[in-house]
Amino acid sequence: MNARNVQAVIAAGVHHPVLLSKWQADSTLLRHKGIDPETIDLSALRKFAGLSVKVRHNGLRLDLPLTFRLMTLAELGIEVFSAYATDCDAKGHHYAKTSAERTCDLMSFLEKWLDLKQKNHSLLWDMIRHEEALARLTRSTEIAPVLVDNSDDRQPVLRSASVPRVQGRVILHRMQCDPAVVKSALFQRPPRLDLIPEETHYYCYWRKGEDDIQILDVDEFGYYALQLIDGLTSIAELNRRMGGGSRPTQAFKAALQQLAAIGIIGIHGISRARKK
Amino acid sequence: MKTLDFSQDGTSLGLAYGPGILEFLDQYPGSADYIEMPFEQLRHNPSLASVQETAPVILHCASMSVAGFIPPSQETIGAISLETTRTQTPWIGEHLAFVSADGINEEADRDTAPTNLTYTICPQLSEEAVERVSMNLSTLRPQFSAPIILENSPQYFPIPGSTMGMADFVAMVSAQCDVDLLLDLSHFMITSMNTGVDSSKEIEKLPLERVVEIHLSGMNLQDGIVWDDHAVPAPPEMFGLLRQVVKRARPRALTMEYNWEALPHPVIVSHLERARSILAHA
Repeated sequence: MNARNVQAVIAAGVHHPVLLSKWQADSTLLRHKGIDPETIDLSALRKFAGLSVKVRHNGLRLDLPLTFRLMTLAELGIEVFSAYATDCDAKGHHYAKTSAERTCDLMSFLEKWLDLKQKNHSLLWDMIRHEEALARLTRSTEIAPVLVDNSDDRQPVLRSASVPRVQGRVILHRMQCDPAVVKSALFQRPPRLDLIPEETHYYCYWRKGEDDIQILDVDEFGYYALQLIDGLTSIAELNRRMGGGSRPTQAFKAALQQLAAIGIIGIHGISRARKK
Repeated sequence: MKTLDFSQDGTSLGLAYGPGILEFLDQYPGSADYIEMPFEQLRHNPSLASVQETAPVILHCASMSVAGFIPPSQETIGAISLETTRTQTPWIGEHLAFVSADGINEEADRDTAPTNLTYTICPQLSEEAVERVSMNLSTLRPQFSAPIILENSPQYFPIPGSTMGMADFVAMVSAQCDVDLLLDLSHFMITSMNTGVDSSKEIEKLPLERVVEIHLSGMNLQDGIVWDDHAVPAPPEMFGLLRQVVKRARPRALTMEYNWEALPHPVIVSHLERARSILAHA
């Protein structure tokens, strides 16, 4: 087998991993190119294509160091990027120019590809969303207008017509682990990822203006409420959309008051309880 | 602009350019003698030339496709030549690999554009490939003001048509092309593990007296294959291999390639000290 043909076939397979499936299905295609199919390990070539794409995504490590560390320790990196390389080739997708865009593209792929019933896949999905949220909020230069001054320590009295609005930027993620626990496990020797507890968390990544980012482990109620709050919808309507009646329940109001007290939301159209 | 002084005997220690390296050198001045800079990064981001205000630069390259059948463009050769002269690099470390190949068209028998990759690939390990390297070097060498030295590739899978192992191939290239070597110990160990040979025996087949520079980095096992990994520290076995190599070799430089992400500073310091100690006791 002449070296020139061999190199052409290997390079084509790495550059266009979709070809590897074709060659796997019909080995005569390889024979036509002067390659004995018995001498070429197409599976290894597919993995190598994954390494090549993984290296092209090294720029993402700045924002996603723990995600990459997790992929290495869970022995997922080559598998993930091999599948991603094939998927991108099949779709004719060109890798984006910026790291933020590449992260976004990779996450779109992972969302469909990962099998969240597998513990390591679930950890990876949580970790990449965790780090991406932090990176996105860190990069955020938006100075959010502070609509309502919550510094008044008097309890706001909510009305049905009051309209809550998120103050600053929030990113919400439901996760099956605590990323802080995963981080700690990633630096233990040996890393026991299997011992990381699986438990549902509702995280709110919040940044108001240029303040530090806060990660709040909110309750389910607050999580879904924050998802619905759009700055236009009244408390009564929000209550209805969350499955309540037309009159906001005390529990719902209390949850909103708690969010307002933290400062995540401001509420239009409230009155203040009198100071004693 | 700083340049390397090789007037004294001994091995210079350097770091491959990557995230956090300048911060590291700022915090630990004098801990490394030079920075190894990939030509491709300089080309992509010319402002990186300012790195040479911090430390001398050795140029590394992955664009010549020395073992390939598609030569680099004159524009690329010209750009490498300019950087070679500008940086006053003592040599250009290039991969003994290919990065471009003939294109393949699945649909019709017509010429297609070459396949240009972003990551070098181990060539066929054969006499034919050695001949090709020899031809390519004879064209490339006169174009640069510094010598080219060749770096062994990592081998992840069998290359069809190969007639010899990596150590024999590198030895044959060095002898037939009269070329010095950049011995990447990680690549060598990875190749040995993936091809089921004993690295400590295989390495003795190399013309170690022709090793001018050594690379050290990490590796990891995934999906049944050992992979190159510049984001993790070199394992202890790598330092054992280094100890064996320097019994015969007198490299002029040793580069830690921890350049895929910023490693903790104490790890880099400890590995530099370890390498320095091994070199001192050689």
